[in-house]
Amino acid sequence: MDNPIYVALSREMILRRQMDIVANNIANADTTAFKVENLIVKANPVQAPAPDGGPTTINYALDVALGRDFGQGALTQTGGELDVAIEGDGFFKVQTANGERYTRDGRFSLDSQGRLVTKQGQPVQGDSGDITVDVKKGGLNIARDGTISQGNERVGKLVAVSFSDNAALSKDGDGLYANKSNLSAGPAQSAILHQGMTEGSNVNPILQITNMIEVSRAYERMSKMIDQTAELDRQAINTLGKVTS
Amino acid sequence: MRALRTAATGMEAQQLNVEVISNNIANMNTVGFKKQRAEFQDLLYESLVRPGAQSSDAGTVVPTGVQVGSGVKAGSTYRILTQGSATRTDNKLDVMIQGKGYLQVLMPSGETAYTRAGNLSVNDQGQLCTPDGYLIQPSITIPADATDVAISASGQVQVTQPGASAPNQVGQLQLATFLNEGGLEALGSNLFAESGASGAATIGTPGDIGVGKLLQGYTEASNVDAVTEISALIVAQRAYEMNSKVITAADDMLQATAQLKS
Repeated sequence: MDNPIYVALSREMILRRQMDIVANNIANADTTAFKVENLIVKANPVQAPAPDGGPTTINYALDVALGRDFGQGALTQTGGELDVAIEGDGFFKVQTANGERYTRDGRFSLDSQGRLVTKQGQPVQGDSGDITVDVKKGGLNIARDGTISQGNERVGKLVAVSFSDNAALSKDGDGLYANKSNLSAGPAQSAILHQGMTEGSNVNPILQITNMIEVSRAYERMSKMIDQTAELDRQAINTLGKVTS
Repeated sequence: MRALRTAATGMEAQQLNVEVISNNIANMNTVGFKKQRAEFQDLLYESLVRPGAQSSDAGTVVPTGVQVGSGVKAGSTYRILTQGSATRTDNKLDVMIQGKGYLQVLMPSGETAYTRAGNLSVNDQGQLCTPDGYLIQPSITIPADATDVAISASGQVQVTQPGASAPNQVGQLQLATFLNEGGLEALGSNLFAESGASGAATIGTPGDIGVGKLLQGYTEASNVDAVTEISALIVAQRAYEMNSKVITAADDMLQATAQLKS
């Protein structure tokens, strides 16, 4: 009898989570190389206890996965010598204390030993490990394929790697992705590196605000439904429970 | 609700963004000022269903999982070290650094600070100093009877004195360079200090490989570009507003919950 309440409750739980995700998208609308996220929800059919020919299945709402849209963010010119943006599919490889991580955030700098590092100071990996440059040799030039040169001298190569399925990467925070599903990583064929640019977040603010309105209204509808179902129960008890003489 | 706190981190981050932008605009006319940029990073993710978790005994794995992020944080405020444009001042003691390098300044504490602001003066003993009166290192004294001062591109300071036909060299300006200039710690008053991130200073002669040249009679203007800053300010303000809308929406949802069973 209380099935509508439970179904509405399952939807409400998901709406709350969806709101959390929308809030995270909006909070990161200005974060370099952030990829917009969406909750993927499915109907979860469950056999309902309905002995006398009632509806046999009811569908709860169940969140199954987080979809991340790896679409290209807008490239913004910064003029920074060590800002690199990836156009197309691909990730920079970064060595962290927890192992190898991947990022599209190419705002690099040099550490006190002249290594190319991320904002957290984690060394960026080139085709032969860490990339070390000597600023005394002059300006850095990063080619579209990642080759780093100073004047005529080649000092290293930034590599972009791509995966068979980006969706299976898990997010670590700080713009880093971890490969926890043991996907095979190969060189990114279609990636083009742009020096002096950063990739903006691909969050579309208008879409997120409409999502937010939708979630918030749906939540109100579900609350109303719970309320009305409870009201129905109340009336049934009151009416049917009346003893007539 | 997590959405409330997530939106709060967004508002905090945008507030910092506005603070950095306003500091850039305030320093538009500061000699040798380098603009800063607030950089954001997403916060930790909570895995509700862990990607890669086993979903059956047959070895199938959850391909994507459900991960909910908890907002944004300011990763760093990064200094953009592009060259500022040259401003002609005709002051004999103004030097502009073209290219990499910092003048060394002896602080009252005895430590060495570094500066790009080349608007120098002399103190009562004729020593070259910053507008605050801190001595430039290596110390250079301009004789009291000098009629003219010339500073060459490679940093030689020469004075013309009455009675002498040839100019007399009284000192050599030197520049300090760093592996990671962005890691220098700002002290205010256009001064910077060496930090663990910047690496140790390398002292060189102006004009050497990897060291900038000097230009007498000019100062380096700030590299703040008003149009970029104002457009960044608009973006920051709108982002702030959007985050506040999320807080309102999350609050509405909480209200709907609270009104159940009315």
